[in-house]
Amino acid sequence: MKITKKAKREAKQLYRFCLLKGLLDENRARQVVQRVVATGERDCLPILAHFLRLVKLDRARHTATIESTTPLAVDLQKSVQSSLERRYGQGLTTKFAQRPELIGGMRVQVGCDVYDGSVRAGLAALEKSF
Amino acid sequence: MNAFIFLIAAQSAQSDGQIEQIARTFGVDWPHLGAQIISFAIVCAVLYKFAYLPILAMLEQRRQQIGLGIANADKIKAELDKTESQRLEVLAQAHTQGSKFIEEARAAAARVQQEETKKAVAAAEQIMAKAHEAAAQDHDRMLAELKREVGKLVVQATTTVTGKILTAEDQRRLAEETSKQIAA
Repeated sequence: MKITKKAKREAKQLYRFCLLKGLLDENRARQVVQRVVATGERDCLPILAHFLRLVKLDRARHTATIESTTPLAVDLQKSVQSSLERRYGQGLTTKFAQRPELIGGMRVQVGCDVYDGSVRAGLAALEKSF
Repeated sequence: MNAFIFLIAAQSAQSDGQIEQIARTFGVDWPHLGAQIISFAIVCAVLYKFAYLPILAMLEQRRQQIGLGIANADKIKAELDKTESQRLEVLAQAHTQGSKFIEEARAAAARVQQEETKKAVAAAEQIMAKAHEAAAQDHDRMLAELKREVGKLVVQATTTVTGKILTAEDQRRLAEETSKQIAA
C-alpha cells in the first residue's frame, strides 16, 4: 500500500490532535480512528496506517522496558521508575521483565535509548575488545 | 794492324831503298794496298757508325737499366725495411692497444661484477626485509587470533561461572548501578 505525502500529512495532523499536554490520549486516538473509518473516504486506509505507525513510535518513546535476571525489589523498581520519569517526563509506561541470559545486572530500554548494565553486555564488550 | 806495321816499315825503308826491295819480295802492290786501306777504312767507319755506336748505346742503355734496377732494388729494400719497421711498430702499437683493451675490459668486468654483486646484495636484503616483515605480520596476526580465542574462552568461562557465583546482593548492586547511571 502506497502512503502519499498528503496521507502522511493528514495522519500527522490527526496524531497531533490526539496529544494532550504532550502525551497521547488513548480515548482521543480511538475516537479519531472511529471517525476516520466512519467517513469512508478512499484514502482513509493509508492515513490510518501512517497514524498507527506514529502511535507505535509514540508508545515506544513512552515505554520503558526494564529487564533483569531476577525480579527487582519493589524499592528498586520505584527508584528506577522515578529516575526514568525524571529523565523522560510523565506518562512513561514501565514494563518489568526477567531475562536470565543477562546473567546479572539490569537492562533498560526507552525508545531508542538503551542503558545496559548487565553482565552479558559487559562480557560482550570484553569479547569485542579482544 | 799488320797494314800499319807494313806502312811504318815501308816509310822507314823508303829512305834507303831497301824498302822497295822488301816490298817487291813480299809482293806488295802499292795502289792495290792503298785501295785496300781505303776500303778497310770505309768498312771501319761504317762498322763504327752502324754497329759499334748502336752497341755502345745499347750497352749504355743496359747499364742504365741495370743501374736503375739496382737503384730500384735498393729502393725496394729500403721500402721493405721501412715497411718491416712500420709493421713492427704497428704490431707493437697493436700489442699495446690490445693490452690496454684487455685491461679496460678487465676493469669493466670487475666494475660490472661489483655492481651486480651490489644489486644482488640489495635484492637479498630486500627479500630478507620482506620476509621479516611477513613473519612479523604473521606473528602479529597469530597473536591477535590467539588473543581473540583466549578472550572468547575467558568470556565463555566467565559466562558459565558468573551466573552461579552472583548472589542476590550482587544482583541488587548491579541493578542499582544501572539505576544510578540512568539518574545521572
